[in-house]
Amino acid sequence: MRVLAIDTALGACSACVAERGAPAAISTETMVMERGHAEALLPLLERVMAHAPGGFGAIDRVVVTVGPGSFTGLRIGISAARAIGLALKVPVVGVTSLSALLSPIVATAGDRVAVAAIDARHGQVFIQAVAPGGRVVVPARLATAREAARLLGSGNIMIAGSGAGLLAAEAWSVGVNATVAPDALFPDPLWVARLGALADPATALPKPYYLRAPDAKPQEGGALPRA
Amino acid sequence: MRVLGIETTCDETAAAVVETDGAGRPIIRSSEVLSQIAAHAAYGGVVPEIAARAHVEAVDHMVARALERAGVELSDIDGFAAAAGPGLIGGVMIGLTTAKALSLVTGKPLIAVNHLEGHALTPRLIEQVQFPYLLLLASGGHTQLIAVRGVGDYVRLGTTIDDAIGEAFDKVAKMLGLPYPGGPQVEREAKKGNPERFHLPRPMQGRPVADFSLSGLKTAVRQEAQKILPLRASDVSDLCASFQAAVVDVVADRTRVALRGFRDIAGHPTALVVAGGVAANMAIRRGLERLAAEAGVRLVAPPLALCTDNGAIIAWAGLERLRMGIQDDLTVAARPRWPLDASKDTRAGAKA
Ligand SMILES: Nc1ncnc2c1ncn2[C@@H]1O[C@H](COP(=O)(O)OP(=O)(O)OP(=O)(O)O)[C@@H](O)[C@H]1O
Repeated sequence: MRVLAIDTALGACSACVAERGAPAAISTETMVMERGHAEALLPLLERVMAHAPGGFGAIDRVVVTVGPGSFTGLRIGISAARAIGLALKVPVVGVTSLSALLSPIVATAGDRVAVAAIDARHGQVFIQAVAPGGRVVVPARLATAREAARLLGSGNIMIAGSGAGLLAAEAWSVGVNATVAPDALFPDPLWVARLGALADPATALPKPYYLRAPDAKPQEGGALPRA
Repeated sequence: MRVLGIETTCDETAAAVVETDGAGRPIIRSSEVLSQIAAHAAYGGVVPEIAARAHVEAVDHMVARALERAGVELSDIDGFAAAAGPGLIGGVMIGLTTAKALSLVTGKPLIAVNHLEGHALTPRLIEQVQFPYLLLLASGGHTQLIAVRGVGDYVRLGTTIDDAIGEAFDKVAKMLGLPYPGGPQVEREAKKGNPERFHLPRPMQGRPVADFSLSGLKTAVRQEAQKILPLRASDVSDLCASFQAAVVDVVADRTRVALRGFRDIAGHPTALVVAGGVAANMAIRRGLERLAAEAGVRLVAPPLALCTDNGAIIAWAGLERLRMGIQDDLTVAARPRWPLDASKDTRAGAKA
């Protein structure tokens, strides 16, 4: 199975084409950026596809990171992925950015708890953590860095993601031995492809995973009193 | 030629397939619109983040439905048009990205359409009105008088300097406790009321430039209402009737001025066209009919489904551009503000 993976949820705009189970991508490109995903993504996809023999016609599945992350960023990736799936008549699956960050460090974490932490601003992180052997220590959630450190307990931890520095500082302050995984600020598109190739299209839907309610309050009042 | 159009600039997720026959006459093959009105009703207006969340879940389904209803495959489409602004940027990016992706996969052209151009070219979609014509575009977000001289050739003769007309209807409805969206409710109340009970201003009346101002009128309604609190049902009807009568007068006066300005730059118009959700208002339509008769031009009011936001007008504008050889590349950016008349800088409050 050949998959096209797309990630625009965090601080990069990336895509790759990879065969299921292959150690390397057939074609891949990553541009580091905080904004501008909307203008960058389609030209990037055009380049990535130009370097993949067989082009779009050889793609069996589209994979996209669904968040948590920048609301705008993840909607761009998801819109593109869903449109490509529609055009190619192939399944589109979603992978959370937390699991895309976690998977590559699980192997290197050894006997440490592997943690993905994404900076959610205002001192908060989107966090998920798994123990060696795969037991979930913290399911995906939004928490303050302090709460997150408490949830992780007292064992050694290894952290990936844009919130790693913030969380590591918090962990150290309560005496926990925390290591920040190198080069792990945003998902590696090859890992997005790998997870997506294994996902079940019936359950891994390409829908945004915001983990945060929209900032909107019902308007009350405003109306003049009626008799 | 056959174009798929996508519209996501506000609170409608829409897609449509429009084509031309051998003689270049337009045919709407499908037009699918999903309104989010219910999702925003509790907020008393469109909430951008809620709109964006709804668009991303719906736009691909609307495209699939539009293709299905039209009985065509994606490979039968010659170009993909999306409204690239003006509007709520989060939603605009979703529709535009969808069109870009479809264009990339199929290798067919992308056309980034100005949403206002969709409204401006609608009369040519329904009855092939010839250039030049005068357009009054009046919706919840826009109030503009535009001389339409050709595809891509627009001169703005007037705009609102504060609220849009639809916005004023919505705000008046809200202060009187009528449900959202308020325009149709105010019209319904106005039918029962006395339009002469309250003396409301006709802002900008007689000014030589065809600009609008609605916020003072809205404030005047509030002041009149405050004098007679608490409001009885008949007070609400009379306030609505008086407000609507003032708007009808303002629209006629401003459009008359624009017609005069039109002759100086474009000659005699083939028609006076009214578009946008406010065109649903029968009192305003009647006022414009009187004005058109007096000025010796024809009034063209597209059917309501084409006056409010939809994909067909975007597909049509895309088709008009594409058949002139105009297309866009994959780097084109969504524009929250995008005046139709490039010579006019956006003024504060003009909302385009
Ligand atoms: N019968 C009516 N009388 C007065 N105003 C009306 C009537 N029906 C609808 N409207 C107003 O029209 C507006 C909705 O129109 P429309 O859907 O064209 O605009 P919109 O969603 O604001 O889009 P845009 O400005 O982006 O084109 C609302 O403000 C509504 O209150």
